Amino acid sequence: MRRRPGIGGLQTAAATRDQYRLVGENVARIKTDLMKEQLTTFRSQLEDFARKHKNDIRKNPAFRSQFHDMCAKVGVDPLASNKGFWAELLGIGDFYYELGVQIVDICLATRSLNGGLINLQELCNMLCQKRKVARESVTEDDCLRAISKLKALGSGFEVISVGKKKLVRSVPTELNKDHNEILDLAQGQGYVTMEEVEKRLSWSSGRAIDDLETLLEEGLAMIDDGHKDGKRRYWFPCVSFVTTS
Amino acid sequence: MQKLGDFKLPHFFNYPPYFTLQLVKDTREKQVQLWKELILDYCRTQKLFVIGLNEDFPLFSNPAIERSLSHEAKEVFLSSLVSDGRAEWMDKGHKKCLILWLRIQDWADCILRFVKDNGLEDGVMTVEEIRSGIESRGTELHGMDRTVLMRALRLLEQKGKVAMFKGSSADDEGVKFSA
Repeated sequence: MRRRPGIGGLQTAAATRDQYRLVGENVARIKTDLMKEQLTTFRSQLEDFARKHKNDIRKNPAFRSQFHDMCAKVGVDPLASNKGFWAELLGIGDFYYELGVQIVDICLATRSLNGGLINLQELCNMLCQKRKVARESVTEDDCLRAISKLKALGSGFEVISVGKKKLVRSVPTELNKDHNEILDLAQGQGYVTMEEVEKRLSWSSGRAIDDLETLLEEGLAMIDDGHKDGKRRYWFPCVSFVTTS
Repeated sequence: MQKLGDFKLPHFFNYPPYFTLQLVKDTREKQVQLWKELILDYCRTQKLFVIGLNEDFPLFSNPAIERSLSHEAKEVFLSSLVSDGRAEWMDKGHKKCLILWLRIQDWADCILRFVKDNGLEDGVMTVEEIRSGIESRGTELHGMDRTVLMRALRLLEQKGKVAMFKGSSADDEGVKFSA
């Protein structure tokens, strides 16, 4: 637009700015309206989906897992809060909350037998037993999700990896690297001897005995002097299945 | 699940360390508790009343895992039962232990129930009849240990619920139940 000098020119400039502003606002409003419309459509389709599949999500672990994948791709975390759209519609927050409570129950019940460290697989088995009545089975994946929610509540629950296995820790005992290595070694036969620890990990006997004593004190290990070879064995309930058949 | 005859054994029975007396206090407490429950359960279902520490007791060893309880361990578990009032040492040397999977008071109650159920008030029976007669079949009284039965009867006698007397045959006692 050709600038005109003088008052007239200024007025034109102002009017032009106003017009641009109006157009801009219009465009913005159209965009917003469009977005709102898209969101409404999206939301109602989502609601339909959720209603149709709510049962599947609760009862079918494979479907549930795929559902989580889908959510992840879309950038949605259905467990992010217990309120809100997903939680209300699907009750999926409730599902994991319930699971969390059951996990806590099992860990507390077995704590005196395994020192507060339980094999993830064993935990999962026990959960499935518990939920048999409702015919809602769970996978290790579900357990891990529920535990991560528990963790967020600051409840002292943690999943640690020892070798190929995952153990769920429900007590504040910190396992240091040494302990972790002993547990890893124990996974072979469910126990270790002091000799094995010294030899396989190349430790001094002092170090080995200190660590084993700590693990005994923590209730994570039990002694066994009954073998005919006379060697003391240190058994770890958390790497065997002591509580279930 | 492993079985001893008809009896279902708990999982810990197959876990070797449970056959070694644990040294850590909390772990031992748990161990003692589990063994006590097992001993009472087993004796109740098998109707056993006496455990001899120097004899082979099937519960105290598990050949499948090649483990047996040491004498010390057996004594610890049984002594704990004694402290709970669920067992009594029969000798100073702690060689034989009487297992009260029902306490004497419970046995006394059993007898009273038996009297009521069979309309035996004011009736008379011999001690032997109580534990092996037809009427007691199907009840806990059937086949029970005579010593325990006598103790329960004496308790009832003290309370005036029964009167004991010597019968015509030299070797059995009679019991008169009060109305």
